Amino acid sequence: MAASKFPKSGDSNSHISSANHIEVTVADRPHPQDTPDNGRQCNDRPSRFSRSFAKILRKNQDYLQITISEPKLEQLPAEWWKTGVVFLWALLNLFLTTVMITVVHERVPDKSVSPPLPDKFFDFVSRKDWAFRVTEVNGMLLVTAWFLQWLFLKHKSIIGRRFFFLLGTLYLYRMVTMYITTLPVPSDHMNCAPKLEDDHLGRIHRIMQLFFGGGLSITGSHMMCGDFLYSGHTVMLTVTFLFIREYSPSSWYWTVYHLICWVLSAVGVVCILVAHEHYSIDVVVAYFVTTRLFWWYHTLANNQSLLDSPHNYLNKVWWRYFFRFMERNVRAVVPCVFSWPISLPRASFKIPCRRYSKVQIVREE
Amino acid sequence: MGIKKAALWSEADVGLWLAEEGMQEYTEPLRHMDGRALLQLSQADFQRPPLSRITSDGGRHLLEKIKTLNIEHHIEAHKNGLTNGHVVISHNGDASASSKTKRNGMVNGYNKELVRIPIPEPIGPQFPTEWGKTGIAFLYAICCFVFTTIMISIVHERVPPKEVTPPLPDKFFDFFDRVEWAFSVCEINGMILVILWILQWSLMKHRSIVARRFLFIVGTLYLYRCITMYITTLPVPGKHFQCSPKLYGDWESQMRRVMKMIAGGGLTITGSHNMCGDYLYSGHTVMLTLTYLFMKEYSPRRFWWYHWGCGALCAVGVFCILLAHDHYTIDVVIAYFITTRLFWWYHTMANQPDLKVASQSNFLSRVWWYWFFQYLERNVRDVIPRSYQIPFSWQSLHWGHMKYSRIDSD
Repeated sequence: MAASKFPKSGDSNSHISSANHIEVTVADRPHPQDTPDNGRQCNDRPSRFSRSFAKILRKNQDYLQITISEPKLEQLPAEWWKTGVVFLWALLNLFLTTVMITVVHERVPDKSVSPPLPDKFFDFVSRKDWAFRVTEVNGMLLVTAWFLQWLFLKHKSIIGRRFFFLLGTLYLYRMVTMYITTLPVPSDHMNCAPKLEDDHLGRIHRIMQLFFGGGLSITGSHMMCGDFLYSGHTVMLTVTFLFIREYSPSSWYWTVYHLICWVLSAVGVVCILVAHEHYSIDVVVAYFVTTRLFWWYHTLANNQSLLDSPHNYLNKVWWRYFFRFMERNVRAVVPCVFSWPISLPRASFKIPCRRYSKVQIVREE
Repeated sequence: MGIKKAALWSEADVGLWLAEEGMQEYTEPLRHMDGRALLQLSQADFQRPPLSRITSDGGRHLLEKIKTLNIEHHIEAHKNGLTNGHVVISHNGDASASSKTKRNGMVNGYNKELVRIPIPEPIGPQFPTEWGKTGIAFLYAICCFVFTTIMISIVHERVPPKEVTPPLPDKFFDFFDRVEWAFSVCEINGMILVILWILQWSLMKHRSIVARRFLFIVGTLYLYRCITMYITTLPVPGKHFQCSPKLYGDWESQMRRVMKMIAGGGLTITGSHNMCGDYLYSGHTVMLTLTYLFMKEYSPRRFWWYHWGCGALCAVGVFCILLAHDHYTIDVVIAYFITTRLFWWYHTMANQPDLKVASQSNFLSRVWWYWFFQYLERNVRDVIPRSYQIPFSWQSLHWGHMKYSRIDSD
């Protein structure tokens, strides 16, 4: 017996489709407008409906689509002030790292006292002059690409927060590892600036120079030695690539873009070693720490239920309170959505990034 | 109410049913209807008074309910012999599509009011022992240990001599001078911790799974250690080191050296470890930290004194490594970092079923050892409870009740 189609009525979106299955949609919405006719029934409609709905369920139902309406609270609040705080954290760490480099520079053993340590990579590949420039150019390209991409993301604030936090923490770790044990220069070609024993003004000058030069050799700001374990260049290359890949769509064109960025990153890292600017251990440890921290953070961020689970060991890291502060109000996985940085009227376009277009459309509405 | 066929309902039954369905407003106009007449209500009836006055939705709601009653009626009517050919019955494929319900709707003994939702029973026990997998993990750990020893032997040849490359500047060494006996303290602590851990492990109920985890993590840590040791060779951290002479190309002696080291467990106390170069990162720290983490993880929460005791042993051991100037500070820090991260990473993945599936939001699955992890933990379905039992059964002695301490496992 074919059932006829019943149009929607009142607040209960129940309709029985034809053919061989019943599809019942329950919209959990607040009570509808009271019309004079329905006034009496609105109050007991939900209960009556839910009961009859349950009965229909028992009889012959195939599947059930329950659309829960979006909660009133905003899923992804911008909270720019939090991003500001985290930006300050990153800036502070970067500055302290620069200070630390100057401190460590004083302790680096001289080349004559401590020759470069034996390194497997250096045994196989001899030094190339131009390699480090390649690294730094790649690094600058990646940073620019990431910055442009970030500019066009819709949830700039949240993503920017994450980037600054990771950067700051990685540089904090780097400060610690640089300081506790000082490795000698990796290669004889390195000309370290002379040590300034008590010349505080000179030291401050160096700090400023290094900080504003971005720590790059290309800008001529980095002539200090000792910051070998672990490699900051590797950190930047890896972290920008991870972020670029994570927060961009996965369509075909974008895959080509990811590949290019990956090549830039990998070539940059290899060139660090070819240039004999860092030991292999520096690069390996930097890669390890960066990737682990990135994945750890994003797992926590994307599975907020883990925070409350008793069997969650990810929570044991020292920065969990910081994490809660940053991600407390982020209630959903940050979708990869682009929009114009300056919102022109009707100018925000949304590209569904992942292939779950159905979910994306529902979420966007 | 529903057990009785709708067609056989009396007027009273109809009234009762309407009230049950929450459609009391129809009780009055339909009071003279019995079941059969009810089943024959149609849209047209609702367009005429008295029903048109009562109904608010044109009777759709009620008709809907009647329709389902009708379906049941059909099912009941054709209960004898007809199988899936019946159009109405064939779509009785609700989620609980067991083969029984496909046949003629209701089977004897099934109450129509109730819904049967078969929960899929877990296949097999929740914590299968699977000693085979533990064996493989054991082999993996052994391989990594042997590989590490061989690597130490290789690296030893490349260590720059003390005269050429003096010890590197280290902040800890600036503050604390060397203490002679400190390294023995560290190794004793290590041995105590390992023995305690083995004792604790042998008393556990789910030995196999825990052993698997321990062996896998230890193996992987030593594998990482191989790599870090090999790629860059740090000089000796202190002038006190007596490195055994280098054997250039003498394979036999090198093999013998490797065997000696394995037999001695890599400890200096046993006199097996006089090779230099295995500094980044510290294996002693790994063992101390890992045994402590495992002991804490797989013992009851209320044994806080036990946890604190082991923690103290571990901390003192690690401190003594540095005090003895036997490792650089960086070695110890990196070893601690890698050990704790790997331990927490593994256990988070093992304890959360969501994270055992590789998905886009599961970043933890991007590690290289994920497939190995899947293999080991595939059939472990839940968090392992901290339950203990005596390893062998004492059937004759009944005084000692088994410590199936369910109370302990929180």
